Amino acid sequence: MELLDLSFFTSAIRMISPILLAALGGALCARVGIFNVGLEGLILAGAFSAIVGNYYSGSVLVAVLVGALGSVLVSLLFGLAAIRFKANPIVAGIAINFLVLGLTTFGLRAIFDVKGAFYDKNMEGLPKIDIPVIEGIPVIGKLLSGHSPLVYVAFLAAILLYIFFYRTVVGFRVLAVGKNEAAARSLGLKVTILQYGAIVGCGILCGLAGAQLSLGQVTMFTEGMTAGRGFIALVAMMLGQSHPIGIVGSSLLFGLMDALSIRLQGFSMPTQFTAMLPYVITIFAMFFLKDRGADSQLSGQQSSR
Amino acid sequence: MNLQRKLQQLLSSMVQPLTAVLIGLLTGAVAISIVGASVIETYKVMWDGAFGNFYFITATLARATPIIFIGLGLAIAFRAGVFNMGAEGQMVLGAVSAALAALYVPGPGIIKILVALAAGFLAGGLWSLLAGWMETRFKVQLLISTLLLNYVAVLFAGYLVSHPFQDKSGSAALAQTTMLNQAAWLPKLFPGMSVNLGFVIAIVFAIILFIILRFTSAGYEVRMLGYNPFFAEYGGINKIKVLLYSMFSSGGIAGLAGTVEVLGSQYRYVEGSLTVPGYAWTGLMAALLANSNPLGTAVAAILLAALQTGAMGMERNTEVPLEIASVIQGVLILFVTAKITINWWKVKKKGGDIHGAA
Repeated sequence: MELLDLSFFTSAIRMISPILLAALGGALCARVGIFNVGLEGLILAGAFSAIVGNYYSGSVLVAVLVGALGSVLVSLLFGLAAIRFKANPIVAGIAINFLVLGLTTFGLRAIFDVKGAFYDKNMEGLPKIDIPVIEGIPVIGKLLSGHSPLVYVAFLAAILLYIFFYRTVVGFRVLAVGKNEAAARSLGLKVTILQYGAIVGCGILCGLAGAQLSLGQVTMFTEGMTAGRGFIALVAMMLGQSHPIGIVGSSLLFGLMDALSIRLQGFSMPTQFTAMLPYVITIFAMFFLKDRGADSQLSGQQSSR
Repeated sequence: MNLQRKLQQLLSSMVQPLTAVLIGLLTGAVAISIVGASVIETYKVMWDGAFGNFYFITATLARATPIIFIGLGLAIAFRAGVFNMGAEGQMVLGAVSAALAALYVPGPGIIKILVALAAGFLAGGLWSLLAGWMETRFKVQLLISTLLLNYVAVLFAGYLVSHPFQDKSGSAALAQTTMLNQAAWLPKLFPGMSVNLGFVIAIVFAIILFIILRFTSAGYEVRMLGYNPFFAEYGGINKIKVLLYSMFSSGGIAGLAGTVEVLGSQYRYVEGSLTVPGYAWTGLMAALLANSNPLGTAVAAILLAALQTGAMGMERNTEVPLEIASVIQGVLILFVTAKITINWWKVKKKGGDIHGAA
């Protein structure tokens, strides 16, 4: 088996999309001054509601929409705690993670009457999209074509978010809120509305990430199926300094590392070390990006700096 | 009058957690009625599962033991104003080091136990110190680095017990160390009950920590750093030193959580035995619920453990799923954080009053 071949990169791209989507959502929140640790819970909520939507409607489109809606509802709860009640966002985020883990497992029992995982062979997953012209090009075709629509949506969302932040008036206002909330407020910006908007946007993106998880590769929901992806997305967001293009870069790094760790398992290395790789590399990457952490104060922690 | 004010303070600090508990229980009630069970009946079963008889009480205390340690460790870090999210990794490394120390250090049982406790504390402490060092020396964000180090620690411990130190005596090759010599076991407090000496150690730690934080200059420095790092520095406190000490003891105590689990209840390190029950996150919640007060943290840890053991009893005896406990916990924490506003608002108001009086 070769270490790096084409299927390696395609699997990397597939793994990226939930992380990228969630990280972009996290960036939206970060840019309005809310550090969202609850990404994990939001993705899980999206994954679960997508499966519920799929089961009852039988339509993939409805499923994705329900997934986004479920995530938005949880996101709004987080927003309510963090904005309205001025709770510590980190604590509220942790609470959201726990709450959703409990709610989805509870939902599995209450709605589907199963424990652990829900699978129904009649459920239809996300279709694969073959892009007409690109499909025919030898290498690039295999790489870029034949993914689920949400993979393309993820990259599109990054571009749109970039345009939104740096080319629109509302985007500029959002950035202003993140830079200095008090100053933005004194200018007469509707800070609270912008913050809630970002929270909703984050919910939608995380919901899509969840839908990709539960409907993308295999059509099923398992308890805690996010398996730390929300935290990876959080790190990808910090590594990318909440800049859409930076986040694409850091998510690509994670996807590649993830794919690499799976691939290395074929080379008789202990799986623990290969699985460790993405985290170790991220820690090293943080050494190099340490000074440019634009929103380093966002996490609200005091430290030596 | 002073006493009255103190009493008032105590009461007002209790109002918010109690409200949160109430909202949590109400949410649980809604969830219970959704699955069509009787709310009162279910809660009663839950109570019995946690405190119903002596056996269940000790089971609750046994479950609370690692949670108390984790909560205490995190309370130190929170008091110093740093968000240590790495309790899980610190606990696991402490557990695996303690298991290996107890297995391979020669000598009588008491020596093994003491060495294991020291090894567990050191392993957790050093792992936590690594994050603190990266923060102070290289400005690598602690919140993120501790989170990342969790994965590394858990995977590394998994490697240790599935490759070099795996128990190969059994027929099934599970990822675990061999069983500790019985001499190195922490004794049970009551014969036949699951609570062990670790619980007593945890409570002693809570009291010591309370005294240190409240009455010593070291504790004052830690708290000052947490309240206002700039003032702390202005006041001549070596911020880096205090932060590193806090992180070391924070991780060390988290390491003890794993250690007492190994010495007192598992008698070996089994992969996943500490991470699956989510001790680390529950401990985090306990510290948050109690606003990082060590004694309060111990009480909150017991309450959260009771919620979990109670939910297990509930699942045994009713149709209501166990996960109600995490729903209640989640809601509880979500609302306990909201107190920050109310506190700030009160502080502001009080400040205004003082100015008005003057």
